[in-house]
Amino acid sequence: MTDTRLEQFRAEIAELRLKESNPDREATLVRVGAALLVAGIAVGVVAAFVSHGTTDALQQRDAIVIALIGVSVSITGAAVFLRYSLTRFLRFWLARLLFEQSGR
Amino acid sequence: MRPVPEVLLELAGLRAAYDRIEVLHGVDLTVEAGSVVAVLGPNGAGKSTMLDVVAGLHPASAGEVRIAGRDVTTADPADLARSGVCSIPEGRGVFPNLTVRENLWMVTYAGVDRADVEARAYARFPRLAQRRDQPAGTLSGGEQQMLAMARALTSDPALLLLDELSMGLAPLIVEELYEVVGALAADGVTVLCVEQFAATVLGVADLAAVMVQGRITTVGRPSAIEADLAAAYLGGVP
Repeated sequence: MTDTRLEQFRAEIAELRLKESNPDREATLVRVGAALLVAGIAVGVVAAFVSHGTTDALQQRDAIVIALIGVSVSITGAAVFLRYSLTRFLRFWLARLLFEQSGR
Repeated sequence: MRPVPEVLLELAGLRAAYDRIEVLHGVDLTVEAGSVVAVLGPNGAGKSTMLDVVAGLHPASAGEVRIAGRDVTTADPADLARSGVCSIPEGRGVFPNLTVRENLWMVTYAGVDRADVEARAYARFPRLAQRRDQPAGTLSGGEQQMLAMARALTSDPALLLLDELSMGLAPLIVEELYEVVGALAADGVTVLCVEQFAATVLGVADLAAVMVQGRITTVGRPSAIEADLAAAYLGGVP
């Protein structure tokens, strides 16, 4: 390796972007996703009861809007939950596959 | 006057854990640019974890990894690899179903010419040229290790991390591989290797350290380390 390569290495290390140290980020997002999923469903159920308990058309329309917001929150939560729980699962699956294949 | 050697890699108070079980209890180690440093110790001492932390593959729970004076403890492993920190893991890590040349092509994703990668690999390990169309899984253990090294070296590393290079290999092959390591260091590549079997690596190392139960217990010239090594392997903490 030439001195030029060492200089280049030093320069690249100096410019390296560093992430915030947060090893529990994935686990937190999995929990947040699950919480949103449940909260969205709960909002939808509450909106259904509100709508059922009144004959006022305006209140029923409000309940429909709240229910739609609940569904959106639920879908978002499900997406976040799947994204981060699947990442973890697939990472372990890939690592295991490579390990098993290299052992053959 | 002899110039002051430049420190390329420095571990300061490095701690790492798997869940709540701490395996590195404050590792301090300094590696000068262009040198070969061997970390020796029994199975389970934390050597591989230390390499994983340096490569960014395992988070440190405390302490610092400094490369060229910069704290890179939280750096992304892909960014470190792109810069020139190259890790060859224990167990070689070749793709067994791909041929030798296909394994080498795996490092051409960044626009490197395939022919150039092959030429460089075969120049360093002529035996791989004869096996170029053979699936990597059918190579001998030594040839697989050569392939792993060849693939790593074509990425033009500045800091090479070697994990148990000799594992499961015949002594003659191990000697051959460590000759390559010596040649790399002569070219200016800095090498940090961990080993359980000390005999060959001490022949090429400039500095050796003994790691026991997650701590570096001794650092010194290879000739001076050998006595401490026996105590470490027999369960003593020097």
